[in-house]
Amino acid sequence: MNGYTSRRQFLQRAGMGMGAIGLSPLLSALQAGDRSLNPLAPGKTHFAPRAKRVIHIFANGGPSQVDSFDYKPSLAKYDGKEMPGDGLKTERKTGALMKSPFHFSQHGQCGLWASDLFPKVSAMADDLCVINSMYANVPNHEPSLMLMNTGAERVNLVRPSVGSWITYGLGTENENLPGFVSLCPGGVPIVETQNWRSAFLPGAYQGAHIDTKNTLISKLIPDIRNPRMPRELQRRQLDLIQEMNRQDAGEGAIDPAAEARMHSLELAYKMQIEATDAFNVEREPAHIRELYGDTLHGRQMLIARRLVERGVRFVQVWHGAGQPWDSHSEIAKGHGRLGAEADQPIAALLLDLKQRGLLEDTLVIWGGEFGRTPTVELPTPGANDANTKMGRDHNHHGFSMWMAGGGTKGGLQYGKTDEFGFKAVENPMHVHDLHATILHLLGFDHEKLTYRYAGRDFRLTDVHGHVFHDLIA
Amino acid sequence: MLRNPALSCLSLIVLTLSGPLAVLRGANEAATPVAPAPEATPEAGKIAFSGEQIEFFEKEVRPLLAESCLDCHTGTSAKVGLELNHREGWLSGSDYRKVVDLEKPGESVLIKSVLHSGEKGIPSMPEKGEKLSPDAVAKLTTWIGMGLPWPAYDEAEKGTDPSQHWSFQPVKPDALPADAGHPIDYFVSKTRAKAGVVPAGRADRYTLYRRAHFALLGLPPQFEEMEKFITDPGKHEEAWPALVDQLLASPAYGERWARLWMDVARYADTKGYEGAGRERRFIYSYTYRDWLIRSMNEDLPYDQFLLYQLAAEQIVDPASADKKHLAALGFLSLSRNGNQDEILDDRVDTTFRGTMALTVSCAKCHDHKFDPISTKEYYSLYGIFLNSLTQDTPVIGEPKLGPEYDKYLADLAGVQKEVDDFLKPVLEKLAKEHPDLAGQADKLKAKIDREDRRKLNNLEGKVQKFIADAGMEADKAIILKDRDKPINQHVFIRGNAGRRGDLAPRQFLAIASEGGVPKEFTKGSGRLEMAKEIVRPGNPLTARNIVNRVWMWHFGEGIVRTVDDFGLQGERPDHPELLDWLANWFIENDWSLKKLNHLIVTSETWQQQSTNAKATENMLVDSENRLLWKFNKKRLELEQMRDGMLEVAGNLDHEMFGRPVNILEPPYVNRRSVYAFIDRQNLNPTFRNFDFSNPQETTGKRPSTTIPMQALFTLNNPFVQDQGENLAKKTATAEDRIAELHRAVFAKAPSESDRQLAESFVTVFASETARMGKRQTNTEWSYGWGSVDEATGKVTFQPFEHWIKETWQVGKERPLKDNPLSYLYVDANGAGHPGYTEKESLIYEWRAPADLRVAVSGFVHRSNVGKGNGVRVKVATSSGGIVFDKVLDPAKDKLEVTIPELNVASHEVVYFIVDPHEKNSSFDSIRWNPELSDLDNKWPKWELAESYSGPATPASAWGAYAQALLNTNRFLFVD
Repeated sequence: MNGYTSRRQFLQRAGMGMGAIGLSPLLSALQAGDRSLNPLAPGKTHFAPRAKRVIHIFANGGPSQVDSFDYKPSLAKYDGKEMPGDGLKTERKTGALMKSPFHFSQHGQCGLWASDLFPKVSAMADDLCVINSMYANVPNHEPSLMLMNTGAERVNLVRPSVGSWITYGLGTENENLPGFVSLCPGGVPIVETQNWRSAFLPGAYQGAHIDTKNTLISKLIPDIRNPRMPRELQRRQLDLIQEMNRQDAGEGAIDPAAEARMHSLELAYKMQIEATDAFNVEREPAHIRELYGDTLHGRQMLIARRLVERGVRFVQVWHGAGQPWDSHSEIAKGHGRLGAEADQPIAALLLDLKQRGLLEDTLVIWGGEFGRTPTVELPTPGANDANTKMGRDHNHHGFSMWMAGGGTKGGLQYGKTDEFGFKAVENPMHVHDLHATILHLLGFDHEKLTYRYAGRDFRLTDVHGHVFHDLIA
Repeated sequence: MLRNPALSCLSLIVLTLSGPLAVLRGANEAATPVAPAPEATPEAGKIAFSGEQIEFFEKEVRPLLAESCLDCHTGTSAKVGLELNHREGWLSGSDYRKVVDLEKPGESVLIKSVLHSGEKGIPSMPEKGEKLSPDAVAKLTTWIGMGLPWPAYDEAEKGTDPSQHWSFQPVKPDALPADAGHPIDYFVSKTRAKAGVVPAGRADRYTLYRRAHFALLGLPPQFEEMEKFITDPGKHEEAWPALVDQLLASPAYGERWARLWMDVARYADTKGYEGAGRERRFIYSYTYRDWLIRSMNEDLPYDQFLLYQLAAEQIVDPASADKKHLAALGFLSLSRNGNQDEILDDRVDTTFRGTMALTVSCAKCHDHKFDPISTKEYYSLYGIFLNSLTQDTPVIGEPKLGPEYDKYLADLAGVQKEVDDFLKPVLEKLAKEHPDLAGQADKLKAKIDREDRRKLNNLEGKVQKFIADAGMEADKAIILKDRDKPINQHVFIRGNAGRRGDLAPRQFLAIASEGGVPKEFTKGSGRLEMAKEIVRPGNPLTARNIVNRVWMWHFGEGIVRTVDDFGLQGERPDHPELLDWLANWFIENDWSLKKLNHLIVTSETWQQQSTNAKATENMLVDSENRLLWKFNKKRLELEQMRDGMLEVAGNLDHEMFGRPVNILEPPYVNRRSVYAFIDRQNLNPTFRNFDFSNPQETTGKRPSTTIPMQALFTLNNPFVQDQGENLAKKTATAEDRIAELHRAVFAKAPSESDRQLAESFVTVFASETARMGKRQTNTEWSYGWGSVDEATGKVTFQPFEHWIKETWQVGKERPLKDNPLSYLYVDANGAGHPGYTEKESLIYEWRAPADLRVAVSGFVHRSNVGKGNGVRVKVATSSGGIVFDKVLDPAKDKLEVTIPELNVASHEVVYFIVDPHEKNSSFDSIRWNPELSDLDNKWPKWELAESYSGPATPASAWGAYAQALLNTNRFLFVD
């Protein structure tokens, strides 16, 4: 039952009937997963998981629900009219209702209403589990990013990220790669590396940030390549190190930490090859590369697939540095360009995972930190650009996300916002609920995946969160 | 702080949930299921039980007790005084006798009683209800045999008074008998003997000296000093304490011990997250770090050490030389930024977790669930910090006067003028709009609108950045000051600032106040009074906390393993008598950390070997070495490792103090790691890969993990490689170079086997390097141009000389008109272009690292379909000549290049050649990413794009050898 055997138990097990404990049983036990020695050894779930790994596509900046997956015919009908009733508070001043510049139609057997912002993703409608009733707490980027990524919206609270929690819970299936990888081209999102920080969890669970704008593989992961000796000479150097280590260990001497380090040297050596291989999309046949498209987003989505295929637990794929989806002005142009960048790569990812049988136990999540207002943002001196027009403000009251694979119900459109797509009104799902549901799909009771720190047992969902069983197939 | 009451219970029952660290697990797992629990007596303190045992109790025993016993035997009204609702009750028995026999559970009075044995004086139980089934009795007997496992989480609920918890009791040192010997050994061996574990012998002098060097100075020893000590004919009992004194006197001591405290103080050089435009650096954070180093070296008594850090500005005369102590306030002022509430909470938490191991912050939203700390008490402390929010930066040093400084001042004035010029019209305008506020700049400033505020922030940020970058200002302290008229803090009901509860007068915690009754603070914020309460010798927690932390810094684990939680949720001390004795001794010895270190390091407990001949037997009783039957072998911490590498390479810059430096990015600086710039928001991931403390919050114990990212750093990072090369250079002229290197790295001569390994490694490495010749890159690949002789198949190859923007090419610029060579290049994707004729063919060269049987595959792509005359593609080997030769048809977009099997000898070269074909190089841009696979599957695939890299800086054979030494466990661990 105990996934994290203590060193004692491990030694007893290793020493059973052997008199002295030699090197190889220790190493095999390391591989078998003693977490006191190897924090990334596979962990045990609370119950049978539906998903074994996660790809979280983060449309950072806040993609508009009423222009993508939340169809509101009333918006066109009342275009330019004041929204009836009391307006909801968002970050900036907004005006009348604004119809979507994108065209909606039905997709798949399930008849999902979606816009032509994501035509290829929408074509996968029967695999998507669309949630139209997401909500968060405030209409600002920093806290909402923190809420989505750590479950705690105060920027100055020190909380581990979702990926860190999941890696802590599950370990990695491939020790030759980091357990948690965050792909973000061209820099970092706002709030920066805090989005993938491990906080009070050990550093082994922090996300490895990879700037996918780099095409030189050696630049993707720090120290992944030895700059001064070719592989065969490095192997000789490593053999020397290991031989000295072996001689120093002596016979019958037990030191798990020293031997764990010997093991990790070998892992590092393999990682040099395996990690570069994982990031090398050139290895893909031409038809697969074409499927994803020869673009930055195509390449990084393909990298994401190669990573999960190799056992990385949690891959977060950001649209870009800063907050690209933040279309306060001219949403048709802004969202149009971003959709064009992301649509084919995301659809390709889904299709590719599906054809490999990976979608079954890979949970794909798409969404931003919040959505946007159905009303038009107004130019307000001191708040935004004087030329602000035809754009939408932040909206945490109601927004859309979708999941696919990993035990979710395909072809489902869940929850509803009000008539105009402003506020979640039917089956509202808070970000904490999303976290609880993700952990559930991964085999964890979100109330029990805890870590003792500073006199308290912390968890991702704090004291909140409900699993939404309706979303689970 | 919100909290689900169910959480703590669940995490302990279902052990899968707890973390990988011993801290989390220790309390419930120390006893083994195969042997009876050691020392199952109440006076030995709390016993820790395994998860399985607790589960057994929860599943099998607790329901049974509830069903048959607890109706009559609960709490103070229990019949015959026999309380069966908690473990202590089982142990102490009834008013008349003991009821359990842990050694012979079957003989227990209680078992006889439930068996209805009918023995004289033993009543048959239960009195009411049914007799227990034989199965139930068996379970009860087994459970008694296990030593009565009972979960720790019951303690909070069992109704006993939490103020009776061990850590809140006064420190009560036992008197030492006259023949006790070293007091630490006296206490430790007493406990060990009781449990029957056998200590390890004393380590040899080599091990001791190296261990002490790293423990006290954070640096490795030097060979000559080592030799001197090892060959010292003096008695160890005299030589050793003298040597320890010598180490304690080294200035490096302060650098090591300051850094340890910096974990507690969540030290960072930046505030944390800040919006765009604002300067994140504190600018003067380093003065706090330097104050810590000096205080450690001067052995400032720990009570003073804390007083200064909490209230220096109220003790120090700012006009005297003592003003240097103002920097101590960095402990509070260098806090994580946030809103006021978050800053205050961080300061309360750091202060009380750091100095008293109390998790006071848990009482922010409700009374502490486990410890006797009320929400009102939390806000009493919070109020102290609320009244200490004013910041100031008095000068405590001298600027470096001179022309440079004058220029700095002039430039600064220029940057500052931008702020003033911007602000002036804004304020004038506001003054007109708010005539009532005329002349009150601060109040007018508060009226600045959002857009102007953003501009102002940016300009002010520029000033701060200028000051921080210049580093010319005199040293300043970042201090807090009390509010002139202190205000009282209300309780925030459930932590909600909008819901005010009772006023919380500024005063100390009841459990740590004299007689349990706190006095209201009256001087300003009360911060100095609070500090004095913390260091009051009668405070039960302060001295215990620091001696426990110092213990952990030596042994890897504290006497109380939860070093920053002495509350009811924390662990109990493994050696309670020792802890109290040490705490009391520490106070009696002027709160001297140096004396405490001396005492610990001169104990036999500390001097034990890290291996023990009786390890297997000891493990069965005490697998976690709680009884200290050996020293814990430890991996070097990040700072010890980095400083150690620099030191042995003769490269460590011993300069002390000053502004922080960037240690992990080139150009590498060689200062000690304590001077590293710590970026709180975006800490370089390498820090935490090596378990460095999280600078967001106070850190008790760093985790201890082994992950491949650590090995990638020590194998591949240029910093480590540089130290290898430095070592090679340093020993280049040595007569016995192997010996010199070993002396430098390990402070020890090499063994015969070390020599053999060294000789064979260096010989082979050097000859392999020579065979490769001058290399363009460090991979199997080289890129260049040349031609192939059609008749002989001999290839003339000229490597590209210029690496520009990640492209290899012939000249600095490309392409140049009428210069055939300037068209030649290759990039990361294998894209390239040949010159004008076959004499300027583009060539990729691959050199076999071993005798191999390989298959070649790949495509040459050409985008200009239908244009030009195509290219001629050839593959040749250095021994076999041309093995592939085909023209890529101009009408096609690609040509497949496959060779199913090719035998190559070690160092043989395979050339991939692109000839412009018939001297027509128009439209000849191609992309070729050749792949070679080992048909015997021993080597991973080679592929141009994957290995593509820039110029080689090849390691020398001796450099590689020295770097290998830095990578051995012998160097990276302390025995």
